[in-house]
Amino acid sequence: MFNPEILIVGAGLAGVAAATELARAGHPVLIVDRAARAGGAIHRQPLPGQAGVATAAARWNRLIAEAEALPIRWAFETRFNGVDHQGTALLTGAENRMLRPKALILTTGAREAVRPRPGWTLPGVTTAGAAQIQLKTMGAAPQGRVVLAGSGPLLIALGAQMTRLKNPPVAIVEAGRPFAHPLTSLRLPLGYLREAAGYMATLLAARVPILTGTRLAAIRAEGETLVSTLTDGNTSREIVADMVCLHDGIRRNDIGLTDCPALSVLRLGDCAEALGARAALEAGRAGGRAMAQALATGTTPTAPNSPLLDRERAAQARLARIYAHDDFAALHSLPSDTVICRCEGRTLDDLRALGPAPRTRELRLLGRFGMGPCQGRFCGEWVARAISDTPQAPVPAHPLGEPRWPAAPIAVADLHAAAPDTGAAPPHPHGVHE
Amino acid sequence: MSGGTIFWGSRAVPFLTGESVASALGRAGVRSFGLGPTGTARAVFCGIGQCQNCLVSIEGRSAEACLTICRDGLHVLPEAEGLSDV
Repeated sequence: MFNPEILIVGAGLAGVAAATELARAGHPVLIVDRAARAGGAIHRQPLPGQAGVATAAARWNRLIAEAEALPIRWAFETRFNGVDHQGTALLTGAENRMLRPKALILTTGAREAVRPRPGWTLPGVTTAGAAQIQLKTMGAAPQGRVVLAGSGPLLIALGAQMTRLKNPPVAIVEAGRPFAHPLTSLRLPLGYLREAAGYMATLLAARVPILTGTRLAAIRAEGETLVSTLTDGNTSREIVADMVCLHDGIRRNDIGLTDCPALSVLRLGDCAEALGARAALEAGRAGGRAMAQALATGTTPTAPNSPLLDRERAAQARLARIYAHDDFAALHSLPSDTVICRCEGRTLDDLRALGPAPRTRELRLLGRFGMGPCQGRFCGEWVARAISDTPQAPVPAHPLGEPRWPAAPIAVADLHAAAPDTGAAPPHPHGVHE
Repeated sequence: MSGGTIFWGSRAVPFLTGESVASALGRAGVRSFGLGPTGTARAVFCGIGQCQNCLVSIEGRSAEACLTICRDGLHVLPEAEGLSDV
């Protein structure tokens, strides 16, 4: 009843590394990705004929050469929508079908967190990651005056890449005070320090203003221009730009990806734990080997661990301390008409109207948080923190309910076109709507 | 440099081979893709298909502009206009 392949979702570092290990062990592998080429986010490849922005290009070139020499089947522009309780997976797009893979490996990478602010839904306001992907694809910096704001090392990295491509950002607005922790910083792995030093040298040489301890509090549109209000707690100022790129951290991209009792499911790389590229490559390889071994012995594969993963875990924890700032206060001091749910325009007022400590069911059915097409990816964390009184309270992994498939909205036409090739009845997708 | 032309409504927009619809529209100065169901503008936000904020109607079907690769002659409309055609 089962198809012979192992299905891998995501052709970034972790997915391609897992695919090479499994293919080398003799397993048929099908790797799907929504993009047109392999690379994922970190190693996003330039369009044909465009110059790339080489970030550790040798690492990717080695891996992809190894993978392409093995009998791996690639399906690009193809979306994995989920797997039902019987182990039937639905693919749509270029490869539109249902299949029952022998095992499933999820390597869907990371997503960005963006704290809500007035004006964050305006055209011209994107995530920093969106701007970076555009930069890597086109080999060119975004045009016009660009402000980078929020918190985290990506702002510095993107700012330096833009500077090298001849359009430095007009400012980098960082809520934390990363330069106030030199001793903590110096204990980061050497690779991190070298990378950061390179970015900082580029930014300083181009005199890019880096405003630390400063929040981008709000954005308003004036014609085609975006006016951002910056505050450092004491004073406010405005900055004018054509584009604002926001970023408040990296999260694992695991929304809508369910487990399945009928087959082995392994999550590897950033979608299991957002530890970055080095860890994703290591976890992909180790996880691929673990899956091969589990299939050979009829056991359940275990998530990989290693000294390198421990080191990356420690480095990420250190980075979090270096960039720590009071975003709980920032969230709680937002104007009450600030949009929290981008999909349905639900505001902080709408959230508060649900009363104290609303349960998940009330948040969804009455508040409609997490019910739009993004399935709570962009509001879940902030809803959980906005209804909490405790700054340090941990955010649950799935604040707006357990994940269920589909991972993204599916067209009915695609569902019809995906004829099951296993003889099994077509699965009933549990949509996001209750 | 190879590529082609897509249509944003009746406007011809050039693209490079392999480029996304969102990228081609953005480079042509189109950054608002019409209004979504709640009245806020459709536009690129996350760029990786997570937020569903850049949904447009492509050949009569709702699709993420950031994930859809341009093909020569593709007809792209604001989502609401595309749906009213069906």
